[in-house]
Amino acid sequence: MIGSFLRLGIRQMDVQLRMRVLSLWSLGLFFVQPAIFSAVGMLLARAAGNSSPDLIYTVLGAGIMGMWSGLVFTSTYDIRADRREGTLELIVGSPTPLRRVVGFRSLLNILAGSTSMFVAVSAALLIFDYSFTGINVAGVVISFALLLLGLWCMGIFLANLLAWSRLSGTFVDLLEMPVALLCGFMYPISVLPVWMQQISTVFPIRWGLEGLRASLKGSPIDTVLISKWLIALGISLVYYLLARWFDGKVHDHIRVTGELHSI
Amino acid sequence: MISRIGHLFRLYFLQAWFSYRSLFAWSTPFSYMTSKFGFPFFSMLFFVFVGKFVGFLDPMFIVIGNILMMPTTNGLYGISMTIGNERQFGAMSYLLGSPAPRAPLFLGRAFFHILDGFATVLVALPIAMLIFNINFAGINLFLLACCLVLLSITTTGLGFIMGTISLLSRDGWMFTNTLGQLLYILIGVNIPVEKLPGFLQPLSGYLPMTRGIMATRLVLGGAGWSEVNALLAGELLVASVYIVFGYTLFRLVERASMSTGSLDSI
Repeated sequence: MIGSFLRLGIRQMDVQLRMRVLSLWSLGLFFVQPAIFSAVGMLLARAAGNSSPDLIYTVLGAGIMGMWSGLVFTSTYDIRADRREGTLELIVGSPTPLRRVVGFRSLLNILAGSTSMFVAVSAALLIFDYSFTGINVAGVVISFALLLLGLWCMGIFLANLLAWSRLSGTFVDLLEMPVALLCGFMYPISVLPVWMQQISTVFPIRWGLEGLRASLKGSPIDTVLISKWLIALGISLVYYLLARWFDGKVHDHIRVTGELHSI
Repeated sequence: MISRIGHLFRLYFLQAWFSYRSLFAWSTPFSYMTSKFGFPFFSMLFFVFVGKFVGFLDPMFIVIGNILMMPTTNGLYGISMTIGNERQFGAMSYLLGSPAPRAPLFLGRAFFHILDGFATVLVALPIAMLIFNINFAGINLFLLACCLVLLSITTTGLGFIMGTISLLSRDGWMFTNTLGQLLYILIGVNIPVEKLPGFLQPLSGYLPMTRGIMATRLVLGGAGWSEVNALLAGELLVASVYIVFGYTLFRLVERASMSTGSLDSI
């Protein structure tokens, strides 16, 4: 049982890696766009008279941006590509549940996107001489894990949303920058107006990111940090349940119409 | 002779209209609106907040710059798509095999994108000016309109070049996208050109839109013809070079494809 589950996961991720992730387009999403946005932040800081950029926000924020952009496009384009290539019905009709396929794909997308963060951290260390002394290592690890979980849950939610309705593709296209904007990828949330901060509470990425930044600044594991982790975990769970609900709707739709192409 | 000219005009406008409708891949008004305004609007806000965080005290510079960059959605991405999608949709061999003259066929792809890009910035700029309380008094509106038309035209040169590159490479769209994002840095959209690192400043001068955006900013500040004519002339010159280069590149690629049959096999 566990063996077949793992075999499915490895094969699915292998195919995903070869077909979708290892492309110049994905590499652009993971590295080029974040680097450019990071450069804008640095140059704005320079134009404002700052001697050096804030690395946690400007450089590591770019890593988060790469992870998010990579996820939002790869996870949703997978479904679009399946629909275009005529494999969506075959996947839905196969004994393996669609949600499992989507889950493994999103997992690989998240792991591939993490290379963006790896490059950002390397840049911070090697180019900008960023020091990791004084950081809360356990806090960083837990926050980053929760960030990955939040991204994964949002990824499967968006993929299932797309499987349910092709019209949601436009909505997903529109989602990339607003989430970066609202979750404060390259600045603290406090920079945003209060009403924007309130909207951003529905994204688990925001809470994971706040925990990560606090831990990078050396904050101890206190009630504030733990409450952020719990909120991130809770909201991620909500996205996961929503994804399951959409998955059910997809299967209901197929049972009624017998096809997925027209939706 | 007149009939020949009429034929060319007909070909130009029909080609322009059909390529705009079919190859820009906008299926619904909602998707049109999100493509045109979604990413530019939210990335503008993103940069405004980045600027606020780092202490850049002129958010209007970023707002105006990002609005003036909006024609690139048409001029760069749109034209690149209308050319590159010919191959992706399997129509390239028919296009290359047709006896139609190439200049209207190729350059015609820009016409509706220029109109669309101009209309976009014409809608977005007054809205931003109203939201951010920019005074219209003292602005030479005719000169402003000329600057906006020029900006809508000048982006097309890059679109022609990147469209031709997307005929040569399956990853052409990635190159187009990267170039489009580099423009956020290089042409004075978010950061004043004079505040860029020394090695980047000369590069800005060789790119379309740099002078056009500078001129438009001056006009919005109340400048007249005499203060911006050199910038506008420079912009026109740079744009012409890019458009001619894009067309020449397309003809070279077309000629090579005729001898090797390479375009459809990429």
